[in-house]
Amino acid sequence: MRRDADKEEAAVYQRVVRKNGAPYHYLKTHLVLEDESVRLSAVELKLFIISGLKNLYGEVGAALTFDLLKYNEDTLSALLRVHSRGLVKLWSSLTLLGSFQGQACCLQGPAGVSVPAGAVRKQS
Amino acid sequence: MWSRKVKVNSYFWCLFLSVGFSTVAVNYVFEPTTKKKQVSHHLVLRSGTAVLSRVGRSRPIRVLNRLTIVMSDSSHYRPTAAEYRRFDLLAVYPTTEKLFHAACMTYDVDIICISVTEKLPFFFKRAPVNGAIERGVAFEVSYSAAIRDATMRRYTIANAIALVDTCKGKNVIVSSAAEKRLELRGPHDAANLSLLFGLSDADAKEAVSSTCRSVVLHAERRKSAGGIIHTTKTSPEETPPTPDDRTSTANHKHPVWNKTDMIGP
Repeated sequence: MRRDADKEEAAVYQRVVRKNGAPYHYLKTHLVLEDESVRLSAVELKLFIISGLKNLYGEVGAALTFDLLKYNEDTLSALLRVHSRGLVKLWSSLTLLGSFQGQACCLQGPAGVSVPAGAVRKQS
Repeated sequence: MWSRKVKVNSYFWCLFLSVGFSTVAVNYVFEPTTKKKQVSHHLVLRSGTAVLSRVGRSRPIRVLNRLTIVMSDSSHYRPTAAEYRRFDLLAVYPTTEKLFHAACMTYDVDIICISVTEKLPFFFKRAPVNGAIERGVAFEVSYSAAIRDATMRRYTIANAIALVDTCKGKNVIVSSAAEKRLELRGPHDAANLSLLFGLSDADAKEAVSSTCRSVVLHAERRKSAGGIIHTTKTSPEETPPTPDDRTSTANHKHPVWNKTDMIGP
């Protein structure tokens, strides 16, 4: 009986580890500025991030496609989506973005941690 | 639970709570000149633990004091100086190749800072870097200069890549030298940044967590061994005389523990 149970367990249990298996990564960030009353539109924020990519990675970096899925103008928080291969580039350029229109700024995640908010695989 | 280290010259403690650090080192940079040869005694050092506690964590943030000595001459670092004892961590910032070699091989420090604001004045050689790794000394790259200025960004990345090439990613710590609140980045952000410096995924995570912790432990060991000289001698009358013992006590020398013994590789 035990043997059968073990066999069944061996058959059922299967561990699958996928490294970077998902096509997209999501980044939840919010912009913290020195002057807290400044507001940006979604377009301005996207332009700002593209300029950061351009500063760090040049034209090739600026060509990296990412999407601004959600944006809250009051709290300046945004949800970005990028292809997995572009994650390191986008994330590092967000980290190194230091100034916005002359004032110091910081792109922080919720609770100060910019962690990719999960990978979602599209079910075909 | 990661134990991370952040080098900072400001006093915004609540920021570390939100960003996600459990251990913070406040850095005091000391540059010896002809007039100023000793670290000022009037420096107000931070207390051991900040009273603030983090939401969802039982331990408050641990605050350490760190001294960075900018060395342009070998006399700037004095190993027997009493003022070094007030600091938990000791770092040196060598500006010449000779000083870098000396710092890696012989100086009793915890961290060696790599220049990020200028072109490397010397090349890293494998021999001193490997010697430092064996001794447990860590190399530090700070990233806030990269946030401030585009030219500094180039220097930071170039110097960091040169270091990682030589040390193969071992014993590297990434810290911010943040002077303002907005120059601080979270540990995950710093780990991702160190991927740019050529570290692997595992090394990048270690650079903000376990290597920092090992530096703190190295510092504790260095501090505790600094004052120990322990000599014991058993007199022959105390031990019961046996034929074997007599010869052994006559020739036996108890170990004299001095500083160099404690700090071995």
